[in-house]
Amino acid sequence: MYFRTVSGAAVAAALLVPGQLAAEEFSIWVRSDGSEFMPKLVEAYNARGEHKADLQIVPVNELVQKYAIASAGGSAPDALSLDLIYTPAFAEQGQLRDLTEFAKSLPYFDSLSKAHLSVGTVDGKIYGLPFSGDASLLLWNKDLYERAGLDPEDGPSSWAEIQEDAKAIAALDDETYGFYFSGNCGGCNIFTFAPLIWASDGEVLSEDGKKAMLDSPKAVEAIDFYRGMVADGLVPAGSQTDNGANFFAAFANGNIGISPSGSFAIGALNNQYPDLNYGVTFIPGQEEGNWSSFAGGDNIVISAGTDEGKIPAIQDFIEFAYSPEGQTILAQNGAMPVRGDIAEEALAGLDERYLISAEAMANGRTPYTVVFNDLINSSNGPWVTTLNRAFFASSEEDMRQAVGDGQAQMQSVIDAAY
Amino acid sequence: MIEANPSDEAAPPTPRRSRKGDWMGLVYVLPAIALVVVFFLVPLGMTVWMSVHDWPLMGNPRWIGLDNYQRLWGDGSFWQALGFTVLYTLAATVGLMSVAFALALMVQSEGRATAFYRTAYFLPVVTGFASASLLWAWLSNVDSGLFSPAAQMLGMTERRVNILAEFTPAFWSVTIMVIWKMAGFFMVIIMSGLQAIPADYQEAARIDGAGWFQRFRWITLPLVRQPFALALILCVAGSMLAFDQFYIILNGGPSNQTVTAVYKIFNESFVSFRLGYGAALSVVLLLILLALSVIQLRLLREKGADK
Repeated sequence: MYFRTVSGAAVAAALLVPGQLAAEEFSIWVRSDGSEFMPKLVEAYNARGEHKADLQIVPVNELVQKYAIASAGGSAPDALSLDLIYTPAFAEQGQLRDLTEFAKSLPYFDSLSKAHLSVGTVDGKIYGLPFSGDASLLLWNKDLYERAGLDPEDGPSSWAEIQEDAKAIAALDDETYGFYFSGNCGGCNIFTFAPLIWASDGEVLSEDGKKAMLDSPKAVEAIDFYRGMVADGLVPAGSQTDNGANFFAAFANGNIGISPSGSFAIGALNNQYPDLNYGVTFIPGQEEGNWSSFAGGDNIVISAGTDEGKIPAIQDFIEFAYSPEGQTILAQNGAMPVRGDIAEEALAGLDERYLISAEAMANGRTPYTVVFNDLINSSNGPWVTTLNRAFFASSEEDMRQAVGDGQAQMQSVIDAAY
Repeated sequence: MIEANPSDEAAPPTPRRSRKGDWMGLVYVLPAIALVVVFFLVPLGMTVWMSVHDWPLMGNPRWIGLDNYQRLWGDGSFWQALGFTVLYTLAATVGLMSVAFALALMVQSEGRATAFYRTAYFLPVVTGFASASLLWAWLSNVDSGLFSPAAQMLGMTERRVNILAEFTPAFWSVTIMVIWKMAGFFMVIIMSGLQAIPADYQEAARIDGAGWFQRFRWITLPLVRQPFALALILCVAGSMLAFDQFYIILNGGPSNQTVTAVYKIFNESFVSFRLGYGAALSVVLLLILLALSVIQLRLLREKGADK
């Protein structure tokens, strides 16, 4: 435990100001994806000198294991910025503290990201509060649009437009391709492919997460839309075996016309590829005018075993993150703000492309399932193996066969969990 | 001058030991026993203990007896993974042993250039499997690698072919990588066996008029059996435990066809968080490996006994 000698004046101030508490130190973890914004946020918080957050950054693929081992050994971090999709699984294992009362006491509770809250809520209790956001977006290369004789300021707004524009760009030369997606990456495709289905009134999973809906008509049509672009040679051959390693890099290379991606890409492209002239739009539905997004990012959670004395300090930290200052630090470092009412203020002065991200975030959705890792993220899970087989199938019949098999496999993984 | 033949198996005279000496012997091996207990027997016991529980990564383990083993029996994906592992072990072992033997024959004699070749052949062994796999993943990449663009440039293929997208080329690509990486290791083992064969034998056979192949068949092969057996067992055990290369280069794809037994255990334990089930799979794999090693030792020992 961390004690600070306090001067008489500070003691007096503490007595005078209600709610002022003794300084506490608490530990907090974040996955490596948050290594841009989180250290800056913690630094700003600690600089206020009230409490001290002790930050540890954990490699993204090891976070769950590491947390579970630490938790079993009684050394779990006091708080954790957790990939929001894991919130239900952690909560159902009894690892998390019920934050309902604290959450409802926040005056801006109603403006917090709904998507984050929906996965952060289990059986009516809130275990995870929105912390950082990442939305799905469609990127297009303006220079290539211009070369292909298309309007560089007009991004695609329906499936048909994506396909038409991609065709025009692929026709430029042998080294230029119309479209890119990571064809063997489960996480990338729930993030960027599922929105195509959602924006067309289709589903991937039922609302309660207990029924796989990969064989529903809109999902099959979306899969066939990708398959058609692959068959037309609009997609580089490497896509078939890309497990996500090229998710960002392929478009950044400059020879791809259109690629679905995420808001994280805006910051990374602007910093690392300042010469790339690109536009950002929503991931469209089959029909023009509809769009959707995956609402990704982190929820903040408190371990069930955290010392009661530290709770007020952690809550203070969360409130700091929700303050205009905190939300601005997030926005400036590549994470979308999660407080809708001040998002615009936090994003002020930033690239207008961030505003599209924020809007996508605010209307994004997150599929709920306790077996997300098994079902979706695992590189050997049914979601990615099915999509891979179907996207690159040589005929519509093979594609339907793959989807049928995959639907059954997904359902059996879900059934095994309940 | 008469030299003692090093392969004579006359037993050295056994010195008489006192009882006290026996106890001292035990004391001397105690550190080794302690190491085995702490780092082998205890973890093994814990694995067996976990395998009879429903052991989630988070939450409390629950005793379920032999349920995991029962479930394993009907788990098609495990048997598929095991079948693939056996296929890979066959391909890798045949490939590795032939290449290693050939290399060993080439570099066994002392010469000016052989030191260079020995080092060159052994060099890939010192790279880790992970880094070698990453290198290979890049070389095999259809867009930015070497193989596909080179094949297209040389006019061997019309379009760039993604060799990692189909089972057969993907499988051989990884197997060739393993042969490239590991052949030097087995070469050294076999070479040390070759060098231990007294030159007199070869010379005597040559005087008797035996040709190269006869000498190889009737002198070299029988006398190199022991080190060869060691190389074979190491190779089979290593291949049965293959994981890194299939995880890094292929992610078990295409369509999970290259998921090995250890990969399946990894997935169960650290992706699905079923540690108990993963432990049960480990125990079964251990038993299979044990059986394979015993069979190999038997086969090679029986033949060796008639010399």
